[in-house]
Amino acid sequence: MNSKERIEWKKCNNCGFLQYPTHLRCLKCKSKDFILVETSSVCNLLSYTILNAPPAEFRNQKSLALGIVEFENGIRALGQISSKEDLEIGMKLKPIYKKICENLDGSEVYTHIFEPI
Amino acid sequence: MREVAIIGVGHTKFGRLNDKSLLDLLCEASLEAIEDSNTSNTDFDSVYVASMLAETLNHMTGVASALVDRIGLLPAAADHIKNGPASGGSAIKNAFYAIASGACELVLVSGAEKMTHITLPGGVTSAVATMTHHNAERIHGASLPSFAGLLTRSYMEKYNVPKEWITSIAVKNHRNGLNNPYAHFQKEITLKKAMESPIIADPLQLYDICPISDGAAAIVMCDANIAKKYCDSPILITGVGQATDTHIIYEREDVTVLNALRICSKQAYDMAKKTPNDIDVFEAHDAFTILEAIQSEDIGFFKKGEGAKAAHEGLTEIGGKIPINPSGGLKARGHPLGATGVAQVIELVWQLRGEAGKRQVADADTGITCNFGGFGNNIVSILVERM
Repeated sequence: MNSKERIEWKKCNNCGFLQYPTHLRCLKCKSKDFILVETSSVCNLLSYTILNAPPAEFRNQKSLALGIVEFENGIRALGQISSKEDLEIGMKLKPIYKKICENLDGSEVYTHIFEPI
Repeated sequence: MREVAIIGVGHTKFGRLNDKSLLDLLCEASLEAIEDSNTSNTDFDSVYVASMLAETLNHMTGVASALVDRIGLLPAAADHIKNGPASGGSAIKNAFYAIASGACELVLVSGAEKMTHITLPGGVTSAVATMTHHNAERIHGASLPSFAGLLTRSYMEKYNVPKEWITSIAVKNHRNGLNNPYAHFQKEITLKKAMESPIIADPLQLYDICPISDGAAAIVMCDANIAKKYCDSPILITGVGQATDTHIIYEREDVTVLNALRICSKQAYDMAKKTPNDIDVFEAHDAFTILEAIQSEDIGFFKKGEGAKAAHEGLTEIGGKIPINPSGGLKARGHPLGATGVAQVIELVWQLRGEAGKRQVADADTGITCNFGGFGNNIVSILVERM
């Protein structure tokens, strides 16, 4: 994966709290001193849903599977799951990077989705 | 701080109101509240208008300025308060502090939304989904119903709760809404019918989700020292609270815990010197059935994981241990976003005045609300008591 494709979170250098990378100050201690942490390749499914009324950007799909996952180092992510069948809380998944939809203006959206291992 | 009283209320019918604009609805509820409070010939100091999507759905800015002009309240100060679906609660909170601080004496709060004219499929859901985190949530296709689906599954798994217990909340709220003449739906549903309704965000079904509605709700508030000049039965606002939580829902340590509600309800209880045991009636923000279940826990009525069970056992019915949503809640009363937080407080006013008709909670002296912004990231609680 190139740098765009990595799922990275920030770890606070002051208190160690792990958080999504858009935070500019630590959610716990307000420090601005972070290091970037990458995920491992395997994650656990924490929860999932099959959305039967997808947003307009997903106009070519009747439904989509969405899951919240947690990696071994504590990083969490939300994303689509490649399969809608045999999903189970606790199952192992791996992130892959791909085009997931086209915005209404035609621009393409690339991001991670999760694939059962 | 000065004590603050509610001396009048106004509430339009909620539902599909084709022939009325957003401003028409605000005017109707506001004038009714002014008449109810016997302040028709009195100058107001300030007006707070709550509406979440006026720009997006109604192509209208300057809503508060337009309202004071149309209903003859010039030169009152006028502000438009926006806090997502908790805009109504935020407007009441701002009005409360304006009066409590001594800066204002007489204030109008009016909340409204006009939504049902949007015919584009998913149009309203997309507009509401702009509250979510763009990169972490929205680009993946997550909408509010999908969060409710994820939350419902986590809750069922963690606390071993059957789906029927959660959906029984919709059945109870429809039964209550039957006796609310302002409700969007005045129709009973059976648990069987609800459990057979289409799956929207598995395991969330159509009957677990509140409708999109038009409507407005308004209250007149004043310094409690002068309340009896206008009104025989003022209702006091004795506690307010507001707190925030992470924008991204999965950054919360436990997604089934509403930390913002724990904090803001504690603020309201502490300010009023009350505990959950003192509360006679609770107006919850059941945009999805699962939310009423977990709100009833985090606001202090039931242990974590026992809210849906309590609803299933009838403890939250009118006449139960703690009646929740005698109004019908968002599920049956409807959910015109900016109006909801105000309508919740109006239901408590009617309950405390003893004017709630067939849905009256016996001997109701004290009530509390949960008005839920974002997906739990900005919550307001208002606690009211009989004077």
